[in-house]
Amino acid sequence: MSLLLVLLLAPLVGAALVGVLPERLARRVGTLVSLGCVGVFLVMAGQFDWSRSGDDQFVTSGVWFEPLGLRFSMAADSVSMLLIGLTVLLGPICALASYTAVTERQKTYYAWLLALQTAMTGVFLARDLVLFYVFFEFTLVPMFILISLYGGSNRKHAAIKFFLYTFTGSVLTLAGLAYVALQSARATGVWAFDFESIETAARGMSFAEQKWVFFALMAGFAVKVPIFPVHTWLPLAHTEAPTAGSVVLAGVLLKLGTYGIFRFALQMTPLAAYEYAPAVAVLGIIGIVYAGLICWVQSDIKKLVAYSSVSHLGFCVIGLFALNGIGLSGSVLYMINHGLSTGALFLLIGMVYERYHTREFKKLGGLASQMPVWSTFMVFFAMASVGLPGLNGFVSEFMCLLGTFQAGGSATWTEFGMTPGRFGDASLLPGGTFGNLGPWFAAVAATGMVVTAIYILYMVGKIVWGEFRAPGHEPGHGGHAGHADHGALPRDLSRREIGILIPLAVACLWLGLYPSPVLRVLEQPVANVVQQVQQDVKSWGQGGRSEVGAGDGDRVGTVAGVEGER
Amino acid sequence: MSELAAHFGMVYESLGSLSAMAASVADPAHLGGGDAGHAAGHAVVRLGTRMGAKFDVPGLFALIPFIPLLACVLCGVCAALKVRSKLPAAITVGSLLVCFGLTVGLYAVVHANPGDYAVIHAFDWINFQWGPSSAQSLTANFSFYADSLTTLWMLFVTGLATLIALYASEYMSHDVGAGYCRFFAAFGLFVFSMACLVMGDNLVLLFLGWEGVGLCSYLLIGYFYKRPSAVAAAKKAFIVNRIGDIGLSLGVMLAFVQFGTLEYMYLFPKLEPYLALAQAGRWTEIPLTVQLIPILLTIGAFGKSAQLPLYVWLPDAMEGPTPVSALIHAATMVTAGVYLIARMYPVFLVSEHALMIVAWGGALTALLAATIGMAQFDIKRIMAYSTVSQLGYMFCGLGVMSGVGGPAHVFTHAFFKAMLFLACGAVMHGFAGQLDLRRLSGVGRMKGWRIVTIAMFVGCINLAGVPFITAGFYSKDTILGDAFANTHTQWIGWILLFTAGLTAYYTFRVFFRVFVGPAYYEPGDELHGADGHGTDTHGSDGHAGDAGHGGHAGHAASAAHFHPHPPGWAINSVLIVLAVLSFVAIILVAGEQSWIHGMVFNSTAGAGIGAEHHALFFGFDAHSAMKVISGVVAITGIAIAYFLHMAGRTTAATARADKLLPWLGPIPAWAQNKWYVDEFYHFLLVRPLWLLSVVFSVIDKVLVDGLVNAFGWAPRALAKSTRPLQSGILHDYALRMAAGVAIFVVIIAILGGREGGAKAGTGGTDDQVGTVGTVGTVGTAKPVESQRATADLSEGASR
Repeated sequence: MSLLLVLLLAPLVGAALVGVLPERLARRVGTLVSLGCVGVFLVMAGQFDWSRSGDDQFVTSGVWFEPLGLRFSMAADSVSMLLIGLTVLLGPICALASYTAVTERQKTYYAWLLALQTAMTGVFLARDLVLFYVFFEFTLVPMFILISLYGGSNRKHAAIKFFLYTFTGSVLTLAGLAYVALQSARATGVWAFDFESIETAARGMSFAEQKWVFFALMAGFAVKVPIFPVHTWLPLAHTEAPTAGSVVLAGVLLKLGTYGIFRFALQMTPLAAYEYAPAVAVLGIIGIVYAGLICWVQSDIKKLVAYSSVSHLGFCVIGLFALNGIGLSGSVLYMINHGLSTGALFLLIGMVYERYHTREFKKLGGLASQMPVWSTFMVFFAMASVGLPGLNGFVSEFMCLLGTFQAGGSATWTEFGMTPGRFGDASLLPGGTFGNLGPWFAAVAATGMVVTAIYILYMVGKIVWGEFRAPGHEPGHGGHAGHADHGALPRDLSRREIGILIPLAVACLWLGLYPSPVLRVLEQPVANVVQQVQQDVKSWGQGGRSEVGAGDGDRVGTVAGVEGER
Repeated sequence: MSELAAHFGMVYESLGSLSAMAASVADPAHLGGGDAGHAAGHAVVRLGTRMGAKFDVPGLFALIPFIPLLACVLCGVCAALKVRSKLPAAITVGSLLVCFGLTVGLYAVVHANPGDYAVIHAFDWINFQWGPSSAQSLTANFSFYADSLTTLWMLFVTGLATLIALYASEYMSHDVGAGYCRFFAAFGLFVFSMACLVMGDNLVLLFLGWEGVGLCSYLLIGYFYKRPSAVAAAKKAFIVNRIGDIGLSLGVMLAFVQFGTLEYMYLFPKLEPYLALAQAGRWTEIPLTVQLIPILLTIGAFGKSAQLPLYVWLPDAMEGPTPVSALIHAATMVTAGVYLIARMYPVFLVSEHALMIVAWGGALTALLAATIGMAQFDIKRIMAYSTVSQLGYMFCGLGVMSGVGGPAHVFTHAFFKAMLFLACGAVMHGFAGQLDLRRLSGVGRMKGWRIVTIAMFVGCINLAGVPFITAGFYSKDTILGDAFANTHTQWIGWILLFTAGLTAYYTFRVFFRVFVGPAYYEPGDELHGADGHGTDTHGSDGHAGDAGHGGHAGHAASAAHFHPHPPGWAINSVLIVLAVLSFVAIILVAGEQSWIHGMVFNSTAGAGIGAEHHALFFGFDAHSAMKVISGVVAITGIAIAYFLHMAGRTTAATARADKLLPWLGPIPAWAQNKWYVDEFYHFLLVRPLWLLSVVFSVIDKVLVDGLVNAFGWAPRALAKSTRPLQSGILHDYALRMAAGVAIFVVIIAILGGREGGAKAGTGGTDDQVGTVGTVGTVGTAKPVESQRATADLSEGASR
């Protein structure tokens, strides 16, 4: 049995085990199994041939449903490996984070938490379209249960909205994928759902067809990411979800959307991705600024962090649609980084919530004097979220912005004062690349740097600094012992809590100061994608963008793209 | 084209004498324009980047930034172990001393290779290559670039950091066991970041240091985190800096796109062709994108160095402990903007307007800040505005093409301004936080305050620019002289000259009010000095909290028993060293061939040297004239301060001054209220942005989410409307069933009539439809489409 299958199925087996064993063992088994997965992943990473990071490795394939050509085929390239690494790292952290927060129905809780891990791992490993889709949708079920059983006061509504919203989007994605599969079957005469044949079929389509497939794909992925304006399920789901649920949601589930864009939208429909890159980027940038500003006026800390995800993932999206190496790898790195720093922020908020049972800025503040260790971590991860250089967020944010900046079609550069007469063709600029965005996109997106600083420092200023305020405490009586209702928890963080934050902090520092190994393993897969897109778009362009649609070379497509997103 | 074009054209042709000097300072072979004419007096110096050759230095020097980082980590460990001693200070001072020693070593090596540079690779940071061309790679490593400009900055950064850490070990002593570790951890982190900023060999590492010092500034301004004003000031500093950082990061990106690299050693050579164009005044041939880079960088520099319109954070930053104000907000961090421009000077030279923007920004800031400084009462705040004002001078120095003046003023200012702050800090420390110059007098007459008073005096004469005996005079004079020597910046010269008078006035206003005259004091409201316990910063033990912060009423009684406590050995010795150094600096900066001239000239910042020219100042050589005039202006300012604040401290004189005030109209009040710039920003920017956020938040809830909910409600509403159909009454159902059947029959009849011909096909393939083979045979031909549709239908029906 290959390691890959072990990694995939171990949590599922663990879930079954949790179900069978008595309640008091649930959390221990849950933790051990997820720790085991980390071990398996490390062995796998050791065996992975990082020099061919762009190739699929650990290829596992089995017959699933022969008549339709469905295969149980799985593999991992470096992008998959990185995202799985994030998933398995968050596994034990989520389990450990729930020790004191979840005290009832532990069996159900840990079983579904483990099942969720299988689903997420499966998404990143799948190399068969239907298999991908099954895992993609299966993630909804455990999450639905985690929210609706263990969430806050409005959990039912949040869970249903989360489920229906993302499900509706994904159905459209399925339609798009099915259409391509049908085209593929027509062309070759055989039903096949493996990524490669689907990709080949999709790339063979005309622009007019690609356009619709692209819209269908984006419908599901955009909801998942989420991209403005289909983001409203997220703040609700986050606010109501239990801490571990929020961590997984922000850490991994949102990345399913960006991963989907990376794997499918860009590689299957490169022409449409190129043509509508400005439209999607505009939505991404609106998300960055709009959601960022909304963060600033939140009264609930968790909601603030939830909206910050929308803002942050805007950077990720523009990086993807920069369609060049720096943008794409920055974006993939951003997926990891956002998972680490935002995940940690949710953990920290959960820890405070367990102690004071409130997340309102009005009622809570000045925790630095009560919880110095917690405050140190809070400031650390807040800075990671701000994108302070030296911590993880910066590298990816900078690369996303730089990729966007340099992805200037020559039209952009002409607007920018580069006339072919004066200094030759703009594409000859030493640092410019192929792409359909450009400096203006990066310039507007860069204002997000300030917006992020505003809301993060607002949050830190309110909750970390200042006089101590908490329910049942008069402000001004700083030094007295903390709230009585701590249960088993000490005033400041316990060893368990410090233990789950430290790996995240180390990862943040590592990716901030020495991201080079990670960037290097991203070179190949990213270069492959870029080459594909570039090749297709170039030949399309040489053919005069012949095949109908927005083919007259101007920016008409932009408007259509915005309409299409809605 | 524009004024500057003419200016350049003229400038480069009148360089005979200077080029000879250039040849003597730097090896001519190393000059960007190797053909620098030293044969005849009228030859033209070619404008070049002045990049020399690369040489190797021991990798040991790569440790310079990391030693303070290690100190930071160790202080963190101390905090975790709850160390209740001065160990963190010892660690920090010790490691900074080592750091300074290494810097001196690096200076020695660089000095031995004038005009050349070294690159020391520590480890890879962002190193990414996804394709063969330069646009397809991004290299920004932890590598350090060492030339004379680097070492100039590093020498005073590490030197001052060591001294100020020593000072802080005493100053912060009431926080031992509380915030002490936190303070020194941030201190170490600051020196690390500053070293990355100054030594980084690429713009991204510079940016790391740039934001890193911003973080440390944030943490240290907010050191007394229970004070709302401190928290607000810290936040303001970070956010205003971030606004500048947008400009900087966009400038960096544009530089990357334009040149394909961000490493200095590859970047500067690419500027050579543009420099040649700039020299010829052919601005139109330099792409706008290239000319835009320095302007974007300037935005960043104005943010970090507190220039108009982004200066508002620095005065508020005085909420931090005084050593922080001295090191970060006076001597080192705020000069980062000057460093950026000096480092990237070749880039600025190829832009038609960038240096003019720098010069005007600096001049207006210098004037504005000086006017505000005149009307403040908090001595630390006066020093803060004076810092803003002096930074304006430095920018002017760079902007008027005085390659030396800017860095020289940074260097001298670092010593005397740090000293001024530390002296103010000693007063604050000794008088329980009292900083109001109306409530302190004659400190110099009190026992144990002599060293502080002398240090303050030395600092004041430097800041005022008392002629010939102060370093501040020489560096300021260089800037003034260059401003007047340049025909197109004489307006700036006049502004600076006027500001010099104001500077002398407000500086000595502080000195005369606080340090001389009859001895008198009112203690401040921070009585930490008296009980030795302190501003509770950690709150771990309860009762300290009230003593540190809270009520002011209760202190009236204790104030009666208050005795100022003069500084101890650590503070005094640091002040003495700084006072001595500020005189030593005279030797280093005075004269045309000074040490600092060589330091700047041998680096890329020297690219502009030679751009100087000699417009006459009313028939005199501008530099010589300025030596006299600026001296006179300084003395006049001091004299006015003397009459108003020393000789005039009688009631009669005060009454006379009061008569003068109405004559000035509302100006003093406006100046005292900082020209309402903060309020202006608040109502014009902050409020609207906040309102916009609220609007967005409502839109999100009502419109964006409302639409989604409408989608969710629609089916439910539909269901509600059809729910009565499920009545449970049998004959209703029977009736509807009959109607349904009837409708179906009609439909089938119509359809059947139309598609009768196609029926055979449907029936034939019925059994095979589900299998793969069939799909294959169906193929791609269009006409089969409708047939397939019916086939699928019938398949569905059969299951």
